[in-house]
Amino acid sequence: MELMEHLQTHVLVPITIRGVDLSITNAVVMMWIACGLVFLTLVFAGRAGRLIPKGLQNVMESMVSFLRQTFIEEILGEENVSWFPFVATLFFFILYCNLLGLIPIPAIGFTATSNILVTGSLAVAVFFCVQGVGIYKHGVWGYLKKFVPKGVPLKVVLIPIMMVIEIISLFAKPFSLAVRLAANMTAGHLVILVFLSMIIMFRSYLIAPISVGMATVMMAFEVFVALIQAFIFSILATMYIAEASASEH
Amino acid sequence: MEPVGFAYLGGGLSIGLAALGTGIGMGILVGKTVEGMARQPEVSGLLRTTMILGIAFVEALALYALVISFLLIFK
Repeated sequence: MELMEHLQTHVLVPITIRGVDLSITNAVVMMWIACGLVFLTLVFAGRAGRLIPKGLQNVMESMVSFLRQTFIEEILGEENVSWFPFVATLFFFILYCNLLGLIPIPAIGFTATSNILVTGSLAVAVFFCVQGVGIYKHGVWGYLKKFVPKGVPLKVVLIPIMMVIEIISLFAKPFSLAVRLAANMTAGHLVILVFLSMIIMFRSYLIAPISVGMATVMMAFEVFVALIQAFIFSILATMYIAEASASEH
Repeated sequence: MEPVGFAYLGGGLSIGLAALGTGIGMGILVGKTVEGMARQPEVSGLLRTTMILGIAFVEALALYALVISFLLIFK
């Protein structure tokens, strides 16, 4: 099916080291571009350093201060401010990947975050951070005690069941993070593609104004979705970290 | 009907039924948030953040169904 071809990576430079496929695909190139753009825009915005921001500094400063207010002041608390660079980096990287995927670039154009492997790696990074902060804050014994909920009636019967549920939910969190982002990006970009390929399917120019108009509306919606999904990924990472580092009460 | 036909049928039904439930859930969610905002406009910022988070969880259910339907159709 030719619809799915647009969602598959294709290899640009094949590299295989001891049977491990490390080829440079178009997703990798798009992630490099996203990294470079995040670096450039944030560095240039920060270097201006005006007291009254304007232009690029204004955009970036309002975004960063919004993230800081939501993540640090409302969720993590000022004492965990050292987590802010990590979650803000997640936000900007995912946002730039999402937005770059909307631009049709010949040969390398691809939404890196629509690939489950990319979002899966990000989610695994978040997973290790969450477990790490849990062990660091409470010690190994305190970390393990979090799997046994308190105040459960019928202790002998319910505690094993609750432990199984807690362990499943531990692994369901990064899984749902990865699948949510990938599926959102895949679905949104596929809808634009379907609207545009209606012109080819119907073999008529008469349908073109309608389908291009609908594709434009979906494109505007996708810019919104790109922002929201980047925000949701990073706010959920923040909430998991806050939940793991919170003390027992 | 052949098995492939059932796969197509299942793919279509899975995303359709998931969208049905998700639509109801999202409608309740946004409606209640608007009620809260109208009653207490001063907490609307907090309500909006919580609503977007809730929408993400509700929407994820429909997207799981979308993944399943992709698996059924394009395998």
